[in-house]
Amino acid sequence: MHNVQVHGEDILKRQLELAEKNRRLLEGNNVIAISVMGAIGSGKTSLIERMIDRLIADGRQVGTIAADSAGDDDHRRFLAHGANSINLNTQDDCHLDAHTVDHAVSHLPMETLDVLFIENVGNLICPADFPLGTAKEMVVISTTEGDDMVRKHPKIFAQTDILVLNKTDLADAVGVNPERIVSDYAAVNPHGTAILTDARHNAGIDELLAALGL
Amino acid sequence: MHEYSVASEMIHALLPKAETIDGRIVAVILKKGEMRILSDQALANAFELLAQGTVLENARLVVELVSVRVSCPACGYEGAVDHVSDDAFHFAVPILSCPTCQSEVDMKAGRELYVDSLTVQTPSEAEQA
Ligand SMILES: Nc1nc2c(ncn2[C@@H]2O[C@H](COP(=O)(O)OP(=O)(O)OP(=O)(O)O)[C@@H](O)[C@H]2O)c(=O)[nH]1
Ligand SMILES: [Mg+2]
Ligand SMILES: [Zn+2]
Ligand SMILES: [Zn+2]
Repeated sequence: MHNVQVHGEDILKRQLELAEKNRRLLEGNNVIAISVMGAIGSGKTSLIERMIDRLIADGRQVGTIAADSAGDDDHRRFLAHGANSINLNTQDDCHLDAHTVDHAVSHLPMETLDVLFIENVGNLICPADFPLGTAKEMVVISTTEGDDMVRKHPKIFAQTDILVLNKTDLADAVGVNPERIVSDYAAVNPHGTAILTDARHNAGIDELLAALGL
Repeated sequence: MHEYSVASEMIHALLPKAETIDGRIVAVILKKGEMRILSDQALANAFELLAQGTVLENARLVVELVSVRVSCPACGYEGAVDHVSDDAFHFAVPILSCPTCQSEVDMKAGRELYVDSLTVQTPSEAEQA
């Protein structure tokens, strides 16, 4: 037997190229795009709603891309808060990719937007493998998932520079110590920023906006 | 997860080259960056299924891990990184930070995913064996 060198192209090369294309388009239009990843039900939509309210009150135009696996609940919530929203039904897909975002972006008024939030599918595994071409990325978990989320899914946290720990109002009720989660995060991502939020009571939203450079 | 579509793209890209090869393709060597979250077992299963009816049928998918390598803009360090050593973590997690000066680093390797080589057995090699 012998080996034949192939040195194939990166299998995800097309995705990386599309992510670069998105990045250029967004930057070219001065749109600050934020990729919002995180666990199912952790509060991704709620946090984006709170941020939309602040940004719009500031006179900024906000766009959203909502990846709902079915239906358009998140999309409607964004519209109700005054965002320009695009709904994507991802069905059984476990993550958004740059190609899908490329399509969605072409339906948004890029010239007028200042900020674009992209809510990914609730999943702590794959979205990290698929950059979308955004300026910033954040990953949301909540206290109700327990204190071991970072230890169970370390790789997404190791490469995402903003961690949002939401539902701090419920921490005591579920017996979770937020400090434990923050220290686990610091262990895998010493340069990351951890933000504690309570989207229900509007706490931590200013800190989150600051971390995102908004 | 998405291992199926990754395996599908891989086979699609590989077939033109694979079809020109004289002999039986015994193994496909895939290099996978340490930061990738793809499951090796799921990739192998998807590969086995999707390779049926092609020249890659009966080839084994061998996944070889590529360690994270970084360069440090602050002190000039180039090389491997430390891993989280806490037993509470069930995986060896690379820490994207300079092991000598703790600054932020640029990742130079660790996210790749490509077919590096094929292991081939020609008819004459098969006879000798
Ligand atoms: N108590 C409390 N409830 C919250 C908080 N944030 C969100 N919730 C509630 O948690 C539920 C899920 O919130 P969403 O914002 O829809 O979460 P999501 O991550 O967008 O959910 P999916 O898109 O379905 O994955 C809703 O009932 C919210 O009202 C919080 O900080 N505290
Ligand atoms: Mg949502
Ligand atoms: Zn996926
Ligand atoms: Zn250094």
